[in-house]
Amino acid sequence: MALSKDELKAAILKKAETAPKPQLYIKDFYACDPDAKPREIKNVANDLVKEGKLMFWSSGSTTMYAMKSRIKDEEGTSGVN
Amino acid sequence: MAKHETPLLDELEKGPWPSFVTDIKRQAEKKPECWDILGQLELSYVEKITHWKHGGIVGVFGYGGGIVGRYSDLPKRFPGVEHFHTVRLAQPASKYYSTKHLRDLCDLWEKYGSGMTNMHGSTGDMVMLGCRTEALEPFFYEMTHNLNQDLGGSGSNLRTPANCIGSSRCEWSCYDTEEACHQLTMHYQDEIHRPAFPYKFKFKFSGCPNDCVAAIARSDVAVIGTWRGNIRIDQAAVKEYVAGNIPSNGGAHAGRDWGKFDIQKEVINLCPTNCMWMEGGELKIDDSECTRCMHCLNVMPRALRPGAEQGATICVGAKAPILDGAQFATLIVPFMKVSADNEFEELIEFIEKIWDWWMEEGKNRERCGETMQRLGLPTFIKVMGLDPLPQHIKEPRSNPYVFWQEEEVPGGFDRDVEEFRARHAA
Repeated sequence: MALSKDELKAAILKKAETAPKPQLYIKDFYACDPDAKPREIKNVANDLVKEGKLMFWSSGSTTMYAMKSRIKDEEGTSGVN
Repeated sequence: MAKHETPLLDELEKGPWPSFVTDIKRQAEKKPECWDILGQLELSYVEKITHWKHGGIVGVFGYGGGIVGRYSDLPKRFPGVEHFHTVRLAQPASKYYSTKHLRDLCDLWEKYGSGMTNMHGSTGDMVMLGCRTEALEPFFYEMTHNLNQDLGGSGSNLRTPANCIGSSRCEWSCYDTEEACHQLTMHYQDEIHRPAFPYKFKFKFSGCPNDCVAAIARSDVAVIGTWRGNIRIDQAAVKEYVAGNIPSNGGAHAGRDWGKFDIQKEVINLCPTNCMWMEGGELKIDDSECTRCMHCLNVMPRALRPGAEQGATICVGAKAPILDGAQFATLIVPFMKVSADNEFEELIEFIEKIWDWWMEEGKNRERCGETMQRLGLPTFIKVMGLDPLPQHIKEPRSNPYVFWQEEEVPGGFDRDVEEFRARHAA
């Protein structure tokens, strides 16, 4: 990894905040640190979920990552696609 | 008392077969929300469009899989299915469970969910159908703390590994499928419960080439038991089969009279590689031609047994998609020792090499087998550090998966064309 763990976390959060779509695939975060192995990125993204800064968004067949503030409450709304 | 008129669904109760409509109506007497499943489904039959919304943020704390969000897009009209989430539970190895465990699970699901289940889903999980978001955490707490039961995989996770009954009950099993499935399940808890990949990833463990869990058709890594060396033949038992003293197929298909057992017709002539014959009253096999179809062993289990040196063939890249047709796995390692003695080290190393490559190269929502197909088998076997083998090629020349690199060819690809044409006219 070229970035420290904290730097990578910040880069992932920035990406999650600014990406055009609120839900991101894990691969979308690879560019945050091109020198990091995919598993390292995955572990850091999952740590951010544990910390409550990101959340998992599941379509059933695929799991994506999102910032809670960018996802509409799905219950009774059309926020889920 | 039915809450909705369902004339179209009612038609599905009129045949001689069991009807899910009848089952749901029965359940609706206890769980009124089930009436709304029928109402919404009837509407979908009329309008020819689904009214389920799919996916979302439901889950339980610390887990990124095992729960699949389902919502009605007509919550005011069908409030019972406003939330109707699916919960996948990890099935025990070989699906051995006590009736008490099943009853306890069903009781718990009656308490927190709709009471409806699907035994089992395609991956093997026990599937609990229909509960509200707020019921997920209490259900999960009781299930894990009181029933010692875990969630299965979903989404871009490692899906719940599955295995055949293996050596627990089957004499053909060439390795301990239950031990392999259990140990890898425990080893990869993080990958099962949290997303790790571009898309889903499945292991399946079959003890012999009969492949009772359909690993070769359904899993990204299929571990299928096999043997090296010769099929073990008990010639005395062969004679007993020929004499009709032992029923063929272990007595299966005995419901009607098939006539006297004919080894030539029922075994030798059906061998796909014609590698069997009778000689001096004894059955002979040219084992070098055997493709492990298992037919002869299945017909005469007391006379023929798998060879003594046992392990597994590893095939990679199957998928069974809805849209573009099934893809069988490609054989990658013809024989690997699969043993708990070294904690399945060789298999784990193999799997993680695939993951490292696929996580890097796989596109979003692309199964490992699709990445292999897109980038080619030569690339894949190079990544895996394997040499090309004859077994990688289905038939010479018809699917030339393996291409030589220039540095592998003496003299490279440059040659004297005039000298060549002197010997081979254009």
